[in-house]
Amino acid sequence: MSALPFLFRELLGTIRARSAVAFLLTWILLVVFLACVSAFFLLVPSRVEPPGGIESLPIEELRAYLSPRLSSASIDSLYVDIRARSDVSSIQFRFAQELRPNATGGVFLIRPMRPEQAGELAVILESVNGVTEIEEMRAAPEQTESPLSGVVRIVLLVVLVASIALAFLFARRGYAELLRAFAGEIRTMRLSGVSERVIVPLVVGLGVLVGLLAGILLFVVLFLLHYTVASQAAQAAWAAGLSGVGRVLGVSFVNLLLGVVLGGLIGLLGVSTLGHRDFDPLP
Amino acid sequence: MIQVSELHFVTEDGIKVLEDVHLHVEQGELVYIVGPASSGKSLFLGLLGAHVPPQRGQILVHGRNVVRLSPPKRLELRRRIGFLPQGFVPMARTVHEALLFKLRTLGNYREQAEEKAILALETTGLIRQQGISAAELSNLDRIRLGLALAICDTPWLLLIDEPFEGLDASEAAEVCAVIERVHTGHLTVVVATRGPLPNTARSHRGVTLLDGRVNEQ
Repeated sequence: MSALPFLFRELLGTIRARSAVAFLLTWILLVVFLACVSAFFLLVPSRVEPPGGIESLPIEELRAYLSPRLSSASIDSLYVDIRARSDVSSIQFRFAQELRPNATGGVFLIRPMRPEQAGELAVILESVNGVTEIEEMRAAPEQTESPLSGVVRIVLLVVLVASIALAFLFARRGYAELLRAFAGEIRTMRLSGVSERVIVPLVVGLGVLVGLLAGILLFVVLFLLHYTVASQAAQAAWAAGLSGVGRVLGVSFVNLLLGVVLGGLIGLLGVSTLGHRDFDPLP
Repeated sequence: MIQVSELHFVTEDGIKVLEDVHLHVEQGELVYIVGPASSGKSLFLGLLGAHVPPQRGQILVHGRNVVRLSPPKRLELRRRIGFLPQGFVPMARTVHEALLFKLRTLGNYREQAEEKAILALETTGLIRQQGISAAELSNLDRIRLGLALAICDTPWLLLIDEPFEGLDASEAAEVCAVIERVHTGHLTVVVATRGPLPNTARSHRGVTLLDGRVNEQ
């Protein structure tokens, strides 16, 4: 029978007021750290759709797909004809496969002289013999500024560093209190031939638990925020990162992983105190 | 059975603590090792108990050569040796909980641990104090608890370091009586003490450890 679950329960049972406060503070600080990390990933610049929708954006380019049966001489002639038009600013030839993997033939990338002329030009090109399809390429939606200003970024970075440093500090204090109360048990274990491979995971496990709980809390909070943002008709620009479930899920898993790793490091901090004479089984 | 041959031990400062020590202890024998402070008694028990790695010489404990044991095998042997260290400080638990902790740590199921704990408490005469916090125990009961912890998981060998320290003559005799009770179960017992030995202990084999050497009394 593995004694590890029993020993872990016993270790948790040894937590008293002082060590509990220290571990609680460690947990809160880890939550703050993970929240800062999440802010960097989730509060990102977003593209703003214009009031009239994507359709209202100006056409920047027309793509005229050519029949694969057109000879190179016909393509050249068509090219010259289109370039000569006064409402065409520029024209380029590409193989259709460069834009669509399964397509054949060629394609003209045509920039109208003025965006408002593009509609009319598209109608004309569609009627040209040898042109199979016209694709309208619209300007990209305007990008908002990042919701994190320079000052906010600096503040977040400071909070990030301070929270992790303080978390380690409080964890050290918590472990010192807890292991002092558990010293008799550790001595007994060592005296009885219990391997360090049992004692060390026990101590590291507590740190991992604290980190995991911080990650889980952030997981829940981020999904609550996601559902709140998603349910609102008008989304705030700063909340755009929270509206995508994939991004929220990814950040949540990063948080869980970070929580476990940081918890493990905190646990190793506890392990470093096990070499103290108080834990020696023999005087 | 214990067989110690040509055992030497030198500290980091170059002080020879044990020098060509030979000792043979039969299975089920009770031996008192008497020697002054800093004569190496605790170190000797540490070596027998596989807590201190030997430097030179041979130590056979129940057919296992401690010198040649790998670290996992050494831990395995340590599990089969009951050890009451000098100045034993008990866990901050009740007597019963302390025993259950050790037994469950060593992989005993709850029911099995309960049975073994009760048996150890009865053997050491602590059954009535089982609900008392170990911190509140008298010196005598503290030693009893140490002995109960040492014997609770049916060891092959029991090593006891300075069990009479801080006890008056009658209490020391009480401890001797507990050791006798433990020993009648045919357990090999080695007791290290500064002495003098209580009268009840004198019927057993005694050896002295002086100037790093062991001599029969």
